[in-house]
Amino acid sequence: MSKVTKGLEIPRLLQAALVIGGIYLAFWAVFDLLLGQPIPRSLMGMYMFFVVAGVFMVFTATEQSTRELVGPIRALVEDPSRRALRNVVFAVVPGLAAVGVFLQMQPSDEAPLELRSIHPAPPSSVKIFGKRYDLMSLENPYRHLEKDDPEQFRELVGTGGEVYIRNCQYCHGDKLDGKGPYAQGLNPVPLNFQDIGTIAQLQESFLFWRIATGGPGLPKEATPWISSMPVWEKFLSEDEIWQVILYLYDYTGHRPRSWGHE
Amino acid sequence: MTAQIKKMFARTQSGVSWLQPWLMASWLLVLVTGPAIPVFAAGDAERGAEIYTVRCALCHGDEGDGMGPAAERLNPPPRDFTMAQYKIRTTGFEEIAPADADLVRMIHDGMPGTAMPGWGDLLSEQDIDDLVVFIKTLAGLEEEEPGKPIDYGNQVAISAESIEQGSQIFHDDDRCSECHGQGGKGDAVKKLKDDSGYRTWPRNLTKPWTFRGSNDPRDIYTRITTGIAGTQMPSFDDPASENRLSIEQRWHVANYVNSLAKTDKVVRPENTVIRAVRVEGRVPTAPDDPQWQQALPSTFLLVPQLIAEERFFTPTNDTITVRAVYNEEEIAFHLEWDDRTRSIPGDKAAEKIADPEISEDMVVIQLPMALPRGTEKPYFLHGDAAHPVNLWSWHSGTTDSAPRVSLRNARGLTDTIERDPVAVGLEGTGSYRDGTWQVVVGRSRVTADPTQDLQFIEGAFIPVAFSAWDGSNSEQGSAHTLTTWYWLLLKPPPGNQPWLYAGCTFVLILLLELWWARNARRRYRS
Repeated sequence: MSKVTKGLEIPRLLQAALVIGGIYLAFWAVFDLLLGQPIPRSLMGMYMFFVVAGVFMVFTATEQSTRELVGPIRALVEDPSRRALRNVVFAVVPGLAAVGVFLQMQPSDEAPLELRSIHPAPPSSVKIFGKRYDLMSLENPYRHLEKDDPEQFRELVGTGGEVYIRNCQYCHGDKLDGKGPYAQGLNPVPLNFQDIGTIAQLQESFLFWRIATGGPGLPKEATPWISSMPVWEKFLSEDEIWQVILYLYDYTGHRPRSWGHE
Repeated sequence: MTAQIKKMFARTQSGVSWLQPWLMASWLLVLVTGPAIPVFAAGDAERGAEIYTVRCALCHGDEGDGMGPAAERLNPPPRDFTMAQYKIRTTGFEEIAPADADLVRMIHDGMPGTAMPGWGDLLSEQDIDDLVVFIKTLAGLEEEEPGKPIDYGNQVAISAESIEQGSQIFHDDDRCSECHGQGGKGDAVKKLKDDSGYRTWPRNLTKPWTFRGSNDPRDIYTRITTGIAGTQMPSFDDPASENRLSIEQRWHVANYVNSLAKTDKVVRPENTVIRAVRVEGRVPTAPDDPQWQQALPSTFLLVPQLIAEERFFTPTNDTITVRAVYNEEEIAFHLEWDDRTRSIPGDKAAEKIADPEISEDMVVIQLPMALPRGTEKPYFLHGDAAHPVNLWSWHSGTTDSAPRVSLRNARGLTDTIERDPVAVGLEGTGSYRDGTWQVVVGRSRVTADPTQDLQFIEGAFIPVAFSAWDGSNSEQGSAHTLTTWYWLLLKPPPGNQPWLYAGCTFVLILLLELWWARNARRRYRS
């Protein structure tokens, strides 16, 4: 019985190769096929380096496993009966390496990677509408109406919706999903407010700052020079900004974060 | 975008294949229960009204009249549901009500090229059914039976002969080409308005991803047969029309229109680099020079300028296709974009089609004044104080002035300096044919003053952006379309270095292997 299983056992070297190949294929299947967002080649190289290093470490954890891993290679080089195969391998390996180097040396035409911070740390205070706001203590002046005067609150949400549809939907979309009619022409793409990773993670004061000062108001780590977010203090009043913030949370069903209980 | 296009190309009759059993079932039900009781989708108008208020009213208006707060900023405007005019439908033009499935489809999939998104991911099937029932009440159609679907006869398969016949019918007596243009690009000869008085544009048939109801021949056949309600697109199945076409003829036209798709003008979001091709001889200066075919085209979306005052909401230009060629001394860009109107101020015919005030068509190439160090680029809208940009403009000319190029340096929207294009050798030519502008702009790669002009270095990634103005669409000053930053790469020929390094690698590894093998043999012997 044990003999049979032994006969079916995959050599350790092949196992290692299969694991590495499998992980690469999985990356490709998930990001290229499923999500349609290929990982840039340079980043993929970095990931695969860690994968190979990790697999090597696991497979050489004990002396026994190390021997099993390099065994077939040693046998190939040392056993005279495998000379013919060895010669083939010895010709193919440098050949492949040469092809790799040749391709690597071709000038790349892949766009440079532009990393940016999506939610940069806000400044502690900021000047908007000619006034100075302390972002740590700033609150939406209408938020309390949600409990105190629901009817007026609904009305303000409605006004916020009108502000949104007249100004924001072109990029952020009717559904607030960041897929407005012009979203595809922008880089970085407009934020998806339905996503759990955007406004649901932020305080209303952060939104107020981001809306009022727009792309040019971003700190450098967030690449203000490519953001197409307008500087809304030029087009909207302070009230309108707070109202549109009410609408964003109301439509998506998210709750703003607060300093209170976290 | 690509996913959307794939979906559209792949959409084969799905809208109809599931409609037919439904209709059949409904007719069966009519037979069983007697025609007195009309048959409707299983929807609840009251629930539909609630969903409408939350999801639809902001555009289509509380009353369903299309007069939501953003109406005048949307092009096309939101549909007025009180008019009972449903553009994308499968029921005959004389029918009062659409099929419910037509409304379901538009809500579920949305309309490409408009602000109407597909709601299939946010609303359930039941939600959409409820909405359909409610939307019909807005037009007073709640008592109406769904209209009868049009007769599709026997579909004519796509073939060279069918396309050829379709082309003849299309151009015969200017039947379709009168509005859609000789090449199908919708280049206008008439000013068209819909029933509500809004300006409408004939569809550019070479861009199927802008079709509201897909470019599958079956969908095109449906549009030709039903016409588009409320617009000047007529039904070609109207017995009263002398332009009436037989079922077979309509299939030929559908196959011809389907064949017009220009896939090289599809925007591929992953393509952000314009690869300039190096040539040994001269750089082409004429827009139709065959040399341009050597360069790979890159197509980018043009979006309206919504960022700075005055903002602009209703563009007509939607994409721009760019090629670049260079040699030792010079570089030239080839810009191509579909524009339905050639805008010539002073020209009577052009002014008649144009929305006032007519001005020249224009295109601008924006480049950083100096190659950026690190990732920091100039602000993508005309640069900023610390990072100025060069603006190369090409103007289409008026009846009094010839087309010309101009050159500016900009440090932000309001801070621009006019310069002399001749001093840096900036030149440009343009040609307009069948609804498409082709413009070539170029200069020497190196200029006398490198502090004032970008120097085009081989191998560097150079930020580049574009803007376009349609002078017949009231586009002037800050009212225009633009792209975000993309890259230009003057890709140098690789030379012999790769060969050299590859050869060295081969020899080195081979030597290592031989040394290893020799040692191993020695060990084996001992």
